[in-house]
Amino acid sequence: RTRSKRKRVSGFDIRPPASAMLAPTTAVAAAAAAQVPSVPATFNI
Amino acid sequence: CSRLHNRPTISPTLLLSNMYQRPDMITPGVDPQGQPLDPSKIQAHFEDFYEDIFEELDKFGEMESLNVCDNLADHMIGNVYVLFKEEDQAAAALKALQGRFYSGRPIIADFSPVTDFREATCR
Repeated sequence: RTRSKRKRVSGFDIRPPASAMLAPTTAVAAAAAAQVPSVPATFNI
Repeated sequence: CSRLHNRPTISPTLLLSNMYQRPDMITPGVDPQGQPLDPSKIQAHFEDFYEDIFEELDKFGEMESLNVCDNLADHMIGNVYVLFKEEDQAAAALKALQGRFYSGRPIIADFSPVTDFREATCR
């Protein structure tokens, strides 16, 4: 295809907007920050 | 199809579930704000997605096949199937993708038993 070599940002590693995430209060923010979001290993199609 | 698909512990093929989202996924030909979408814009959006996936996964080895389900029906919607030449390349890519995000959504990656996409139908 013929497309200009415009600089486009990949969609990889674009996280959800903060408003879409569960908004932790400052009291629990530190605990929440320590958790890694996990994907269920047994996801079904 | 029971939808109870077999998930192998190792395979040269990765399945990235529901990763591609058409810009007109709510109403065909219309964007989420209700504005008509030019078919060329939808095509360009798809090609940008394909390019992103290709460039990210090319780091892990040669791909023999990269299929993106560009559909609006429920079945396999937006699934991406990546067939690498070697199982260990797929394993490295899977490891690298887990826990990451694409365009604001989590990437859901797993091995897939499919190696011949012409024969890839549920029976």
